[in-house]
Amino acid sequence: MKLRVATDIGGTFTDVVAYDPDLGRYATAKAPSRSDDLAGGVMDALSLVIDDPSGVESFVHGSTVGLNAFLQRRGERVILLATRGASDVYHIARGNRLDMFNIRYRKPIPLIPRRDIIPVGGRLDCEGDELAPLDHDDLRRASERIRSEKVRSVAIAFLFSYVDPSHELAAAGVLAELLPEVSVSLSHQVATEWREYERTASTVMDAYIAPSVSRYMADLSTRLNDRGMEAPLRVMQSNGGVISAHSASERPLQTLLSGPVGGAAGGVALSEVLDRSNLICIDLGGTSFDVSLITNGHADSSPSALLEGLPVLMPVVDIHTIGAGGGSLAYQEAGGLRVGPESAGAHPGPACYGRGGTRPTVTDANLYLGRIDPGYFLGGNLTLDVQAAQQALEDLGANLDLDGERLALGIIEVINAKMSQAIRTLTVERGIEPREFSLVAFGGAGPMHAVALAQELGITEVIVPPDPGGFSAWGMLQSAVRQDFSEAFFQDFTDLDTTEVESRFARLGETAVSSLLDEGVDHNAISLIRRLDMRYQGQEHTLTVTLPNHASPSEDGHLAALRQRFEDTYSARYGHSNPEAALETVNLRLTALGDVGRPLLQPNYRPDHPSGSPSKTPPVLFATGSYPTARFHRESLMPGCSINGPAIVEEATATTVIPPEATATIDEYGCLIIKAPPL
Amino acid sequence: MKPDPITIEILRNAFIMAAEEMNAALIRSAYTPVIYESKDCAVALIDSRHRVLGQSSGVPLFLGNLEACTLATEEMFGRSVWGQGDIWIMNDAYLTGTHMHDVTVFAPIFYQGDLAGFAASRAHWLDIGAKDPGVPMDSTEIFQEGVRLPPTMVVRGGEPIDDIWSIIESNVRFPRSAIGDMQAQFAVASIGEHRLGALFDRYGRDTVEAAAEEIFRQSEQLDREAIRAIPDGEYTAEGFLDSDGVGDDPVRIKVKITVEGERLVFDLTGTDGPGQGPINCGAVQTLSACRLAFKYLFNSSQPVNGGTFRPLEVKTKPGSILDARVPAACQFYFTPLGLMIDLICSALSPALVDTVPAAHYGDGMIFQFTGINPRTDELFLDNEPHVGGWGASHGQDGEDGMIWTLSGNFHDMPIEVFESKFPALITEYGYRQDSAGPGKWRGGNGIIREYRMTTDTELSLWFERSGNPAWGLIDGKDGAPPQVVINQGTPRETRRLKTNRMPLRNGDTVRCYTGGGGGYGNPLERDPQAVQADLADGHITPAYAHRHHRLNHRD
Repeated sequence: MKLRVATDIGGTFTDVVAYDPDLGRYATAKAPSRSDDLAGGVMDALSLVIDDPSGVESFVHGSTVGLNAFLQRRGERVILLATRGASDVYHIARGNRLDMFNIRYRKPIPLIPRRDIIPVGGRLDCEGDELAPLDHDDLRRASERIRSEKVRSVAIAFLFSYVDPSHELAAAGVLAELLPEVSVSLSHQVATEWREYERTASTVMDAYIAPSVSRYMADLSTRLNDRGMEAPLRVMQSNGGVISAHSASERPLQTLLSGPVGGAAGGVALSEVLDRSNLICIDLGGTSFDVSLITNGHADSSPSALLEGLPVLMPVVDIHTIGAGGGSLAYQEAGGLRVGPESAGAHPGPACYGRGGTRPTVTDANLYLGRIDPGYFLGGNLTLDVQAAQQALEDLGANLDLDGERLALGIIEVINAKMSQAIRTLTVERGIEPREFSLVAFGGAGPMHAVALAQELGITEVIVPPDPGGFSAWGMLQSAVRQDFSEAFFQDFTDLDTTEVESRFARLGETAVSSLLDEGVDHNAISLIRRLDMRYQGQEHTLTVTLPNHASPSEDGHLAALRQRFEDTYSARYGHSNPEAALETVNLRLTALGDVGRPLLQPNYRPDHPSGSPSKTPPVLFATGSYPTARFHRESLMPGCSINGPAIVEEATATTVIPPEATATIDEYGCLIIKAPPL
Repeated sequence: MKPDPITIEILRNAFIMAAEEMNAALIRSAYTPVIYESKDCAVALIDSRHRVLGQSSGVPLFLGNLEACTLATEEMFGRSVWGQGDIWIMNDAYLTGTHMHDVTVFAPIFYQGDLAGFAASRAHWLDIGAKDPGVPMDSTEIFQEGVRLPPTMVVRGGEPIDDIWSIIESNVRFPRSAIGDMQAQFAVASIGEHRLGALFDRYGRDTVEAAAEEIFRQSEQLDREAIRAIPDGEYTAEGFLDSDGVGDDPVRIKVKITVEGERLVFDLTGTDGPGQGPINCGAVQTLSACRLAFKYLFNSSQPVNGGTFRPLEVKTKPGSILDARVPAACQFYFTPLGLMIDLICSALSPALVDTVPAAHYGDGMIFQFTGINPRTDELFLDNEPHVGGWGASHGQDGEDGMIWTLSGNFHDMPIEVFESKFPALITEYGYRQDSAGPGKWRGGNGIIREYRMTTDTELSLWFERSGNPAWGLIDGKDGAPPQVVINQGTPRETRRLKTNRMPLRNGDTVRCYTGGGGGYGNPLERDPQAVQADLADGHITPAYAHRHHRLNHRD
């Protein structure tokens, strides 16, 4: 037995997916998450699908431990060593605000108070020349304080360390000598990029979560090993790839958004299996609607993220979150109807939860319309109160001169319009045409709204993967080992030193390969992607352009080709380009991927399989009227069968709504493929 | 027939999202860093009767007046002037209200051959051909501040009007950037046209327009309810700017607010002016700033549309600094507006005691320097606002080191970016000890930022509110005033707050101190633990703790 296992810790449940390559079969389960013992929750979930962990060949984990430490502000106390004269940069934090009409604005609370920032003399200029030597007296005094106050984690962020790290390295050397047990995060290693505030904030974040992440990784590894597991523990990273638990402890920042990216990783895998290069992935839960984009088979990603207002420089799969979900409240304001962004949350929750909520939510509307089976919500774990939903809808409807039916349909229409408009703005920002995409829906409520959203956006195909509730964990099984490297590289593009570019990439490549070998990846399974951040001179934002795979930058015509790629990307994104304008490079980026084998979905096609038989056909309300609607259990739908709308497909983790004008088939991988005409 | 509440709500969101989409396109394609980094721009989708359907603004001060541009154009040329495929540009300070760096581009939207609305955007261009590179600090007439464009067509029926483009290119110092930004603004117009057209296609023009009326009505109702909730009466406040930038006399701004049921009147006619220097502001922008003050105080999270602000009336005196006439200089039009907004808030503090903060540090505090960069042998120009302390309010300290209220999402410039681009070093950047206005809740801290030149340059400064620094509320005390010291601690030490193109030599230092925010409540009532925390964090000295909080060092 050679099982491949992935676990994903969510707020409520810990999901587990185990794949048996011999049988070609998946087993999934979920156990309640344990907020005080996350690893315990993982072990609980694991034991639901596996008796003997010694048969596990690969184990991937979506860890929320770093994120939780940050969100609950329960990370390690950190001392920051910063350049004397600029030590307040971490607190000034650029001075900007997004909340424009708030004259009582407060900045996000920094992770460390001002008194825990120690200025250290020493200064480099923008070319790395030393203006003042590193002050060793300052360092010694700092070490004494760190020792006497028993601080276990230190961040070091000096100006211009991205050009020349010598001062940071020297300071780290002094600390290592005097305080060998203290964990040290260096800004040039966390993020080799300019902008001292953003780099410092990233380094502090790294130092803040490092001890919790390494303790957790060690704890989980020990428990798994105690149960006999020999396979390496790998962790999902924010960039959509996986890394060994050991590396994750070394560079904890990379695992910060470990959990949420599983869905995007699943999207990438699905894109390959189903041969669809462009996907919009949606995950709709109780309070939030997450969107990620797969273009040309790759997850859309950014070099940085903002977490509760604090910047973090790290490659991260873009997950765009919009405040909409099953719990979004409908209410009256100034005589008009509003739906969201206010949410009923878990308490009191939607009226139909019977916990005292009296205002209708999106979930109440879905229930009232007959789209949710009151006896089979969350796989039957919660029985819904139809009466309460109806009452809430009718009460609000009376104020708005709408009957309950019309209001329920209206709530769904409004929330769908909001979600589809949010997707449209995202695609416009990126110069993408949504009609060229398929929509992938997962998470509990995603498949319920997906077809309507697709129709709004002119998308004609919706894909609901098997077990949409466990899709994130499944996605983790599909991920390659990934490490990202970057270097600042400011050069005028016209006289770009191509030999220098090549030698720098070669150097980064060597580091990357050796680090992937350390991860246990086979040499021939490693692939490298070289990229350049470029921009027109005078601009601040850059675009990342991928170098052609095997060509050498010093070859004839290569620069022209690169320039063309930049212009094309620019044009796609911004609608125009300026071929005459001068270009410059800003960063070199290298991504190393290590294929560790992926249990892709296996075709299981049975031609002429009769369509599954519906369990019942109660009436459901759609915009065009009430229809007797076939309800299917997902397990009864075999590859090859097809369904005509209106229909509802239920499974333990999700409900899929197929409106009257749509048709669905089950493909050979068990995916529900729904075709619907645009509006 | 009135559309149903569902359609109305869908359209209300659709208008807002259309504006978001237009703004996203502008920010993404702009040329000038201040547009895409600081989002110094705004867009609006406007109906055929010059009312805002949806807008998105990166700068609070651009809150409410893009529709004034389409309206002014129509008043000048008649309704028949609008043609399909035309695009217009204007920056006339008296018509748009702001300075001439802010260029407004707008286009009529046609649907099935009929005028259906307008798409408009405003963005801050890098240079507009003023007498000095960047921003002159001592202009006395509009004619020194750059090329002044009344409503001017730049594209006719989809075809560029080449001679107008040439005029623009010939009158600015960075023509490539100007044309780049103008084209980015064109993209806004086409997105606006597309989105509005799609809504008309789907819901029908009549339905969309009827829904818009109802959406306006809802916004108006919310504003009326907010005004009704505060006590009737007359509320006043006055304050002074240090100078008009050229003369030395303080300039008075006087605010008289009348609340009468659902009606709110801001009477500004007691304000001085015109100023000889560049502190004059067109009435259109004064109105916009009054709307901003309103938005700070009421319904802050509600979107703005043609129904918002209807109960607000603003009175200005023609020729005063808040209602500028030719040839008054307008470069620093925002300086009186910042003071005016602080005064409006303070005036209303008796009625809104829990929401109104004490005064903020007050202005952009602009440092600008220019010269030839020895690394590139090219002209460089750096224009930076500086962060300072915000006012405290009931229950919370004022924030430390923030960009001033009117500029929203502007960022300070990172030292690493600054030194890589310009021939100078930043030798110190940090909080200014003891600058916070004392109070039960203290004001925010100002900062110190010191520059050292590494070549010969020219310095311009615009620092304000030294004579009338951020005041406290309800027994709170004032924050420290700003100051700028050149070559501090040397025989050549001088002080300036405003100056234009002052020559500096290699090695000269410029040390900028920004003000702290005003305190709120009696400082003697401050929680001793909060005083101790400020001491531990080095925000205040033991002397400050003793003087204002009677806290002795040994306590």
